[in-house]
Amino acid sequence: MSTPLLRRFSFLERITHWVVGVTFVVLLLSGLAFAYPSLFWLTTFLGGGAAARVLHPQIGALFGVGIVVMFVLWIRDMFLDARDREWLGAIRHYVAHDSEKVPPAGKYNAGQKLFFWVQSLLGIVFVASGLVLWFPEYFSAGLLNTARLLHYAATLGGGLFLIVHVYLGTVAYPGTARGMIDGKVTPAWARLHHPRWSGDRVDH
Amino acid sequence: MPDTLSIKRVSASSSALIPLESLRSGGPVYSKLVDISKCIGCKGCEVACKEWNDLKVEQTTNFGSFQSHKDLTPNTWLLMRFNEVEDGDDLNWIIKKDACLHCEEPGCLFACPAPGAIVQYQNGIVDFNQDNCIGCQYCVSGCPFDIPRFDKETKTVAKCNMCIDRVESGLEPACVKTCPTNAIEWGIKEDMLAQADKKVERLKQRGYEHAALYNPGGVGGTHMMYVVPHGDRLEDYELPAHPTASPGQLRGLNFLQRIGSYLFGFGIISALVHFLAVGPEIPDENG
Ligand code: HEM
Ligand code: SF4
Ligand code: SF4
Repeated sequence: MSTPLLRRFSFLERITHWVVGVTFVVLLLSGLAFAYPSLFWLTTFLGGGAAARVLHPQIGALFGVGIVVMFVLWIRDMFLDARDREWLGAIRHYVAHDSEKVPPAGKYNAGQKLFFWVQSLLGIVFVASGLVLWFPEYFSAGLLNTARLLHYAATLGGGLFLIVHVYLGTVAYPGTARGMIDGKVTPAWARLHHPRWSGDRVDH
Repeated sequence: MPDTLSIKRVSASSSALIPLESLRSGGPVYSKLVDISKCIGCKGCEVACKEWNDLKVEQTTNFGSFQSHKDLTPNTWLLMRFNEVEDGDDLNWIIKKDACLHCEEPGCLFACPAPGAIVQYQNGIVDFNQDNCIGCQYCVSGCPFDIPRFDKETKTVAKCNMCIDRVESGLEPACVKTCPTNAIEWGIKEDMLAQADKKVERLKQRGYEHAALYNPGGVGGTHMMYVVPHGDRLEDYELPAHPTASPGQLRGLNFLQRIGSYLFGFGIISALVHFLAVGPEIPDENG
């Protein structure tokens, strides 16, 4: 059977997303290695502690570029409207997979939109505090220590959101990950998760 | 009892939180005692430090001071600082021996993320092990006395190691050995404290009513203590009045890290439990 597939993400969107995704995961793991002595061994994957310390900020710079491109590509679709607020009001039905009671989402549901804004904000915190830590000779001890605190706070926030994001994008909603891989999703997937968006597409 | 190099704390390890006290305490604990009122400014200690530790010589320039180098560097671990400070009609010529104080609670060690890059021994010495250093310079911002210096070539940090190789063999540090006036003394910390009391008393009799011992409690005391004639004007000596081994931001960081490890675990487990409870939401391809 060959149902026509819907195109969800362009090549540019996918490559940008994966630059951000892959760099973020590498940064998260090497960053946690610096935060937790019991995880220091994770630096082995980047060639040891000293190499990890050199690479972490360089990969961070790539992440920073990626997050800016992602922001520009997606901001248009990410403003919350009245129906998104309804969606947030009914979030417990979404969590319980009670799809009939979930107000229909557009291309992104309100949770995804909030994730976008949170990651963009954290991106700024990551990059700003990361730059301070990258060039410590230019900053005071107090500012450096503050940067360490902020950098970790962003890690905690970003890491926790990432767990939810990866869970939802892979095992919780089969068919979602494909949209970020070859850019396509099935009409049934779109009707279930993004009815307002699927309407846009399927009707013509 | 022979001088051993029993370890007290190692950076980025459990001993950074709970020192290995119960297991290995009992050996000698040393301290330097610097009595700046006896210093004649000869800088013999600087030369001895360079010689003993085989540190590279650096070009110095005259910048209008008696001081040799402008600042500590990865190859200059000891610097006698000379400052002229006006005191009413008087001029005070302030000399300070700038080098690692070997804190009892070392901020550098607490801040360091690399296991084994900073080691504190039971005898009080705090030493850097460059083999394990990752070059992050967190020790620099963790030190309340601005001591560690980053070497751009080796990408590691360096500072005074209290001539640990001499101390281990029962000798005093090189600067102590060379000082012609005994302005730098060396011995068991308790003896040095008693000695300091006498020195402070004598200074007071000589009219320095605010003479004091600098052995700040915020870092648990130090293993290089200063007798300062003007104890009420620590800023003239560039000595912080209230140094702390764990500034507020780093205490906050440690707290966040501790709850963070639970939150990450909680997040992963929640996703798992949610999956077991409601399973995947599969689109009906025939609907
Ligand atoms: C291994 C890690 C990751 C996986 C498996 C993953 C997976 C996905 C998938 C499947 C989508 C498409 C969702 C849809 O079609 O509605 C998506 C979208 C998105 N991803 Fe990721 N992603 C990862 C990492 C990241 C990271 C690190 C960030 C940002 C820091 C990020 C930001 C986004 C954003 C903003 C969107 C659009 C909104 C949303 O779907 O929530 N992703 N991701
Ligand atoms: S003075 Fe600075 S470098 Fe020396 S032990 Fe104390 S915190 Fe560490
Ligand atoms: S620069 Fe080296 S010694 Fe200093 S905190 Fe980083 S790893 Fe530790």
